[in-house]
Amino acid sequence: MNSKVSRMGRMVLGLTVIVCGAVKLGAQDISNYTNFTVDGKTIQFHGFASEGFAYSNDNNYLTMNTSQGSFAMTDGGVNVSTQLTDNFRVGAQIYDRNIGELGKWHPTLDWAVADYKFRDWFGIRAGKVKTVLGLFNDTQDMEFLHTFAILPQSMYPLDLRASTIAHTGGDVYGTIKLKKRGDLSYTGYAGWKSYDKYGGYVYGGAAVGINVTSMPGRQFGGDLRWNNLVKGLLFGASVMLSPETVNASTQVAPTVTYPYTIWWNDNTVAFYTEYKVGNLILDGEYRRETVGAASMVGPINNGGFYWDERGWYVSAAYRVAKRLELGTYESRYYPMWDQSHTPPTNHIYDTVAAAKVELTDHWDLKIEEHFMDGYGLPYSFRGFYPQENPDGLKPKTDMLVIRTGWNF
Amino acid sequence: MKHIQFFLAVTAVAIFALSNLQAADIKVIANSSVGASSISADELKDVFLLTTSSVGGAHVEPVLAKGGVTHEAFLKQYVGKTESALSTYYRSLVFTGKASMPKSFASENEVAEYVAKTKGAIGYVSAGAAASGVKTLDVK
Repeated sequence: MNSKVSRMGRMVLGLTVIVCGAVKLGAQDISNYTNFTVDGKTIQFHGFASEGFAYSNDNNYLTMNTSQGSFAMTDGGVNVSTQLTDNFRVGAQIYDRNIGELGKWHPTLDWAVADYKFRDWFGIRAGKVKTVLGLFNDTQDMEFLHTFAILPQSMYPLDLRASTIAHTGGDVYGTIKLKKRGDLSYTGYAGWKSYDKYGGYVYGGAAVGINVTSMPGRQFGGDLRWNNLVKGLLFGASVMLSPETVNASTQVAPTVTYPYTIWWNDNTVAFYTEYKVGNLILDGEYRRETVGAASMVGPINNGGFYWDERGWYVSAAYRVAKRLELGTYESRYYPMWDQSHTPPTNHIYDTVAAAKVELTDHWDLKIEEHFMDGYGLPYSFRGFYPQENPDGLKPKTDMLVIRTGWNF
Repeated sequence: MKHIQFFLAVTAVAIFALSNLQAADIKVIANSSVGASSISADELKDVFLLTTSSVGGAHVEPVLAKGGVTHEAFLKQYVGKTESALSTYYRSLVFTGKASMPKSFASENEVAEYVAKTKGAIGYVSAGAAASGVKTLDVK
């Protein structure tokens, strides 16, 4: 009890420091303090932090105790970068989060890149590189860039962030001008995928008797987007191929635990569009992920499985005043596309209304209401887990989210 | 009917004159290392959106003002984004490791001083601003 009180006290103190810092620094011109010079090179550092509160009616969501109201929704990051020559730059970012049982305050190297741009139409990046997939995969952690406190989870699940967020390897990228037909931007990449032992696969796996210890795998793919064919219009497509191994263990008898190994090919395709006109931004994305797998439990061939999950969302955001933006989205996710979508186990729908207030240039506050229908399969690992919902899940979840973020 | 035609003609002339006045209010300046004497509006937009880092084969970097009438007019006329949208755009690049934040200064004098001393720098000031040691680029 004392340790809980003490931890709560530290959280409140930490939050107070963040908010006081945000209030004080948010009103200042912070950019004067984000550069310093070493040996004639300008080094920039930037950072962000956010704190959220979620309160739901029945089901607990995203591993938080949201039915009681939860502040366990904190994240942040800092980066440093420098331009070494006209064409060559290096940088790195550390990211940390504590969202319920996810992240658990274990900092990770978010990205660390060396980037050489030969021409506008050809450059290379190497290191740990943020993966381009759809509109917002690489910016999903930066709440201050988005209208919504929680992005559509059909596309950007907070629990499975690590499986798409970055790869260790290399990219080729560039932008090709098409004169009066806008421009084409491309990215191609290959490398090894990220793994988060404090993420949804490990946490959700434990609930269904699979204790995941590692998920080594490769990741390669690409993205092609056409900007400004019509002024303000963007559309594109992404593909990501991930052959990987899931190393786990499972209990087969009261005192017998066997290694459980799954080999799967996880392939994702996404199509997306964005249209910006005046103060209005319209977004839409569709994603299909197929997984084909074979598995062994100890020496025994455990057979294979296949699933085809799909999701989409459409969103609209409108800036009604200089510092006020209103938005809404409809997000839909189906874990087993080829089966009936009616049961709550085979869909998660989320209808959202949101308001974002930019209190200063560097500090925002969001208020958002989610109306969710369905909760997906135990293997979906999308927000709803048995650990936080031991009495079972209700078909509908309403949730209020308040989130504030600060960046410099 | 004649009154309407006259009104429309006067309005058109006024709009044309105002748009030219607005264009003339901004002076695009560059460091003397930038070889070009002119820049197209598309190139200028690409420079400030960081989608190109060269003009006429020379490396360039954008320099911004932190606010003001000239800044707002420049963004509207040449970049096509509001201050807020541009800030979001820059931050999306900075926090994903794809670019550094461009330099920005509180006053036109500081913009002009930085452009004068920094190889490849391209900035903007109001047409009447004194900006010594820099070249003025014609925007086509």
